[in-house]
Amino acid sequence: MGTREDEYDYLFKVVLIGDSGVGKSSLLSRFTRNEFNLESKSTIGVEFATRSIEVDGKTIKAQIWDTAGQERYRAITSAYYRGAVGALLVYDIAKHLSYENVERWLRELRDHADQNILIMLVGNKSDLRHLRSIPTEEAKAFAERNGLSFIETSALDSTNVEPAFQNILTEIYRIVSQKQMRDPPEGDVIRPDAEPADVRPSGADSVRKQCCQ
Amino acid sequence: MERARAEHDKSETEAETFWKTPRAVPGRPRQRVERIEVMSGSSYQQFQASVNDAWDLGDDDVVSGIDEPRISKAISQTAALSVINSHRVAQSAPRADPGDGARPAEARKPPGSLRHYPGRPRAVRLSALASREESSESKLERFQQLLDRAVLDLDELKQLSWSGIPTKARAVTWRLLAGYLPASAERRADTLQRKRADYRHLVRQYYDAEREEDTYRQIHIDIPRMSPLVALFQQSTVQVMFERILYIWAIRHPASGYVQGINDLVTPFFMVFLQEAAPGKELDDFPLDSLSAERRDVIEADSFWCLSKFLDSIQDNYIFAQLGIQHKVNQLKELIARIDLTLHEHLQRHGVDYLQFSFRWMNNLLTREIPLACSIRLWDTYLAESDGFASFQLYVCAAFLLHWRERLLRERDFQGLMLLLQNVPTHHWADAHIGVLVAEAYRLQFAFADAPSHLARS
Repeated sequence: MGTREDEYDYLFKVVLIGDSGVGKSSLLSRFTRNEFNLESKSTIGVEFATRSIEVDGKTIKAQIWDTAGQERYRAITSAYYRGAVGALLVYDIAKHLSYENVERWLRELRDHADQNILIMLVGNKSDLRHLRSIPTEEAKAFAERNGLSFIETSALDSTNVEPAFQNILTEIYRIVSQKQMRDPPEGDVIRPDAEPADVRPSGADSVRKQCCQ
Repeated sequence: MERARAEHDKSETEAETFWKTPRAVPGRPRQRVERIEVMSGSSYQQFQASVNDAWDLGDDDVVSGIDEPRISKAISQTAALSVINSHRVAQSAPRADPGDGARPAEARKPPGSLRHYPGRPRAVRLSALASREESSESKLERFQQLLDRAVLDLDELKQLSWSGIPTKARAVTWRLLAGYLPASAERRADTLQRKRADYRHLVRQYYDAEREEDTYRQIHIDIPRMSPLVALFQQSTVQVMFERILYIWAIRHPASGYVQGINDLVTPFFMVFLQEAAPGKELDDFPLDSLSAERRDVIEADSFWCLSKFLDSIQDNYIFAQLGIQHKVNQLKELIARIDLTLHEHLQRHGVDYLQFSFRWMNNLLTREIPLACSIRLWDTYLAESDGFASFQLYVCAAFLLHWRERLLRERDFQGLMLLLQNVPTHHWADAHIGVLVAEAYRLQFAFADAPSHLARS
């Protein structure tokens, strides 16, 4: 389905988390397939998709793991945080409870994800203007206090979906490439089990790198 | 281009793996062909013939070949009884083990030992699959004969049901197989009446009262998105019925509660009881309000009770951390490593973890992977397995994975493998595919469940 490209410079694993029904799967299908279903089936366990984007002439392949939102699933889904370099923490701007639970999701990430994971707070369903219950400013302030980036999106009308993924992937790329300038790679060694932040571009050749799985 | 490739793959794979020919039995590890040949004979048919001759004597030939139905019935009953009795003896020892849920502890000593043999279901013969439609009339007769008896022989009904139940006999057979209806014919009407009244009482007690908020909210979110494209499920009447069934089940089973995915398990029951209430109707957009309130209540109550009975055997799938599933996922991994090392190593090499794809298969009993009609056919077998179901499910998942082996082996990276495993192309599947799937599962169970060292890696 056009999601498999043969060459890429970086491979980043990103997870989508947040309460049930906030639109995680819809964001994913909008970003990876440009599709939207008003009612997409609930996610069982985890689901996987991928898409590549270009940043600074480099191809960045995003492996995106969409997780089930039900609290009962956390024992299963938290296993998937390992190796993730980015997380989109999604809430529904019209459902206050999903916003209140953001703190719990942050704790989840702190407990199970890598320390340096980049987190973006995403207020989804921005098309539901008349039902909004979380003011943009409030969420923005919360994000700043907690060192998260922030964006509001609508998977339904596509608003900001592309920028949301682009931003977090670009930010990850900047960090990784800066780290590389500080500690230049010694040769082109790619350990299959390497922590994702260690992933290095292979330069001209097109050796596949498995940074995370 | 991707699509063209997929089309190409499809035809190629079908030619290779549609299992019509003996050599294409899927899951047969290429590198171990010789050993497997020795083990299983050369084909499923031969295997089938070697273990089920007693049954062949008892049914088709006699029932359809002789004009005197009484005589044939007697013969088939005798044959059936002797087979069943001999297997009862064989089964009695391992039966000591209580629940399937508790059992899976030792993967190396798979569940139930001897009980999975011929006493059980006569699995579908491949030759019979193609002509299933023509033979369904005589099959229906056999069901009718069985169901009309004053005291039903449940084992015999399981035997007959394992390979698929004719639509007209399905609703009543499912009730019996689920243990919702008693074997004694004269008690059935009373039981139904009482259980349906019980359900109405449960609705008043739990659903019409103050509800447990978290459980209700989760169910309420999940129901509308179950089958978003099927008009039937978008009717509020239908959604409220599902909501009540699931909410009451969850409240009455606090050890598990509602777990996303259980909603999908109501659907087959609901469809079968709806089919009974609206025979011959197109169900995809059937207006449920056109049925009387009594009819609707029957569908709802019966779906609830059958679901409850059904889930009893697999409740550890849905307890905290879903330990039952995690355990089965590990069993699947060990099993595939024994059956098809090439495929297993291919998956491992590309970093595919069994949990990543088989969790959903097990949590939703494959309902997400195959069309609804196929799920219903699959449940004929699941229900006929009854208490052996929890372990049989493992072999169904193994057979399902092995079915895609050739395609999987052609995938060259993690992405390709995961995308295929999460979106296996089954949209064209029909009952015949399920017949083959469960037959293969049966063969695997027969060969591997009781032979922990068979093909074991040293």
